[in-house]
Amino acid sequence: MQLIGQERQRFSGPLQVGIYGGNAVYDYKVIGKDTLLDGDFRMQQSDLKSLLESEDASFLFSGSFVDGFPTGPWNFQFGAFQSERRSQVIDYQYRVLVSGVQESGSGTVVKGKPNGSWTYAVNRIVDSEISEILFRSKFDFENGIPQRNFNIESEDRSLVGRFLRNGIAHDEWALYDDAALEATERWFFKEGVLQKILFSNNGQTKEFSINTGRNQLKTVNLDARYLKVVQLQATGDDAEAIAQSGVLHMLDKNAVYYQKIDSILSELGTSDFNPEFKVKLPYFPLDSLEKKQLSEIYLSYEKARTISAFFLNSSQLNILKLSDEESNYLFELVRAISSGFLDPIEEVLNYQKTSVLEYVPRSDLQNNLWPQGIPSKTIQAIITKDSIEQKRPFTLSNATDFDFEGPLFSSLMEIARYAAACLAEVEKQLNVKLVREKRQQALVALEEKLVLQEKGFGNLLDSLTSDTPADYRNTLQRLKQVADEKLGAYGVLKNPEQKLEQGQELTRCFENLLALGKAYSELPVRVEELRVHYEDGVWNPFMATVMKEAIKKRITNAYRKVLIPYFLEQVRDDFDCSQANMLLEEIQYTHERMFQLREEDTAKLERKLRREQDPKVVLELFHKPSKSKEN
Amino acid sequence: MKKYYRHSAVIFSALFMSACTLLNAQEDEQEVLPLESKYKEPVTKTWFNTYGNIRISKRLFWVAQTHFRLEETEDTQYVGQIAQIYNRHAIGYIYSKKFNASLGGVLRLNFNTDEDSTDRNLVPEWRIWHQYQFAMPLSSVMVYHRLRIEHRWTQGFAENSDYIFRNRWRYMFRLKIPLNNHKLEPKTFYVSPEAELIMQSGKAVVASPMEDLRLTTTLGYIVTPRLTFAAGLMYSQGQSLDNGGVYKQNWTMRFHMYFSPDFRKVKNKLPEIHLND
Repeated sequence: MQLIGQERQRFSGPLQVGIYGGNAVYDYKVIGKDTLLDGDFRMQQSDLKSLLESEDASFLFSGSFVDGFPTGPWNFQFGAFQSERRSQVIDYQYRVLVSGVQESGSGTVVKGKPNGSWTYAVNRIVDSEISEILFRSKFDFENGIPQRNFNIESEDRSLVGRFLRNGIAHDEWALYDDAALEATERWFFKEGVLQKILFSNNGQTKEFSINTGRNQLKTVNLDARYLKVVQLQATGDDAEAIAQSGVLHMLDKNAVYYQKIDSILSELGTSDFNPEFKVKLPYFPLDSLEKKQLSEIYLSYEKARTISAFFLNSSQLNILKLSDEESNYLFELVRAISSGFLDPIEEVLNYQKTSVLEYVPRSDLQNNLWPQGIPSKTIQAIITKDSIEQKRPFTLSNATDFDFEGPLFSSLMEIARYAAACLAEVEKQLNVKLVREKRQQALVALEEKLVLQEKGFGNLLDSLTSDTPADYRNTLQRLKQVADEKLGAYGVLKNPEQKLEQGQELTRCFENLLALGKAYSELPVRVEELRVHYEDGVWNPFMATVMKEAIKKRITNAYRKVLIPYFLEQVRDDFDCSQANMLLEEIQYTHERMFQLREEDTAKLERKLRREQDPKVVLELFHKPSKSKEN
Repeated sequence: MKKYYRHSAVIFSALFMSACTLLNAQEDEQEVLPLESKYKEPVTKTWFNTYGNIRISKRLFWVAQTHFRLEETEDTQYVGQIAQIYNRHAIGYIYSKKFNASLGGVLRLNFNTDEDSTDRNLVPEWRIWHQYQFAMPLSSVMVYHRLRIEHRWTQGFAENSDYIFRNRWRYMFRLKIPLNNHKLEPKTFYVSPEAELIMQSGKAVVASPMEDLRLTTTLGYIVTPRLTFAAGLMYSQGQSLDNGGVYKQNWTMRFHMYFSPDFRKVKNKLPEIHLND
């Protein structure tokens, strides 16, 4: 007793549980480093001020825990209320009347699982009184497993049904519409196995029987997947009706409320408050051959889908098909293969992924996939021309190699292979077209670029001012001639592939030549920049002014009188593109070097430059560090 | 011209005699001021002047000037004979671009230009001088004001002449106007009009405080920041020392070379001279 008394502690204060934040009072104990809730728990939130001002979202959870497990009676309330700002004084209390929606769930929990009778109700409240029941469900559980009868009511419908002691659906589950006299939807289970569904509408009854056969049975949850399986066994209207089943809708709605309770209890301790309603389904396991076939199907499908997706989304083809009839035909063919073959196969692969496949009889699946029968090997491309639809058939030359008949998966495998083969064939044809088209476009673009580049040389000449020295103009003129000759040689070429290759080389060449030309056209400005850079201020005491004086004349002379003429002379008739880059680099290097040399100790360099007229020697000297190593 | 020579011979002998009399008997033999000022015939001269300003530190420079001054003879105008050789030295201080000052000495060698004289041919003259030069730019023109004060000791050519001491007060106004450029820089011709008034004082100066008024125009060419050549013509006039009523006149051709080497190491020169700005 004393031990427990020491261990247990009480918390009172603000607490956040998932999305709910409020004030809590609870008992807990610390075991090791874990805090376990143990004892009463109560958490609530309501704000009178916000209620009076606009609206208040209140909640109240109360119950108890034993060793971290919710155990004992629990009550959950969620309210969203507005007040009419009216109050009454009754006895010694102020009462504020509220309107809104109140949800409450209550029942007993044992070890985190619902046990005994659980009710969940959603009521509309007007002036603090229940005005309408929006939802109410009542289940009996035993250790989390639903038992006996249950009922779920909503505004206009109610569902009643029952479970066996092991939680498996049994007997008739009936959905009543308030407006109808009899049940509108009745599901008949026999120990979990759905036998038939009766849909009644205005006295008309439709029965959908399910061939249960004598197959192996497997217990599964009554959920969306189950519905899909049931749906796949039906065709046409039946499938539609099942998709809109009210029974499942009611169960879903209930599941949302139970989920809400589970999320709170799981946050606080250990709980499993997701009651599972069980049913049984005939089970058609995939044998090893079928599994192998499915993986084959998947491979063929992936290959085919990649091709079809590429062409259907290819902007180049989408444009080309507008002008080229054959391309249009091939495009439509891809579309037809995609919708007629690939989409159904994709569906099967999806069933496999979501574990639906093994619960559907193969024959039902086949009917569902191909309502019109197995597709023909002759694929019809629908071509619209002048708003008249025309069909143009396509058959693979070796179509007879593919066997569409036979068991479902074997047939599907052949169909997938056939689709992939067809698409591969189409791809071959389209690629030729697209490559040719691409090359054509590339060539056009390339030649446009070449012409534009060629104009660039003229522009460079035009950009020279009238006082640009003649040797600059002559060099640029020669550069233009070199470019013109190269372009002329290119123009003689006939072979498009050769043209493309040489043209690309030529654009790169022109880029280099243009860069060099630009450097030449900028040289006069740069030389002037350097002239100014190599001026120093000298005080002339007689004039009392600072005068500019050119310094390091040997260096500037070597640059102006030896190197620049050398640079300008390099462009000759046999000038090659590879030379252009080197020359450009040399020009740029020299210019930068000139800027550096101004500040460096260049006595030794100046001595060596004396009377040096060989540009190669001068360049070599410029490349060496100016500082003499002798010191 | 002949007339002038006669005249000057008279003056000179008078001066000589007065000096003798001063020495010997302190005789009161005063020159008499004429009723009207008299202008002597102009003498023609030629000056070859070199002006050196040698930079010795950021603010100091050495002024080294050598002038060769020629004078007419009876037979040869302008360049007939050597008249004076100047050796002018000083240390200058650059206060700012707009102001500099110098202080130094002069040794002037005066040659006896009187062809008839039997006196000494060469006598020295000593000076201490200091000058203050203001420079200011005005548009593309530079304007200069120069104040120069000289303390000079001179003596006559007669044997055993005593030195006489005088002060000279000089003010010069000068413009330098670039002709083929918007500012004074290398490869620029400029024209430089100048006017200088030289006043003197001292015991020997009784009635002739205005020693010289010089009006010059030169044409110059700046070869480099360190070398400039100029040539011009000067007219000057001033009172004779011995008679304030008598004015000398000169026409002088002037040829100048200005040089300003800077032998400092490169690292001391860089960056360019900024002085105070």
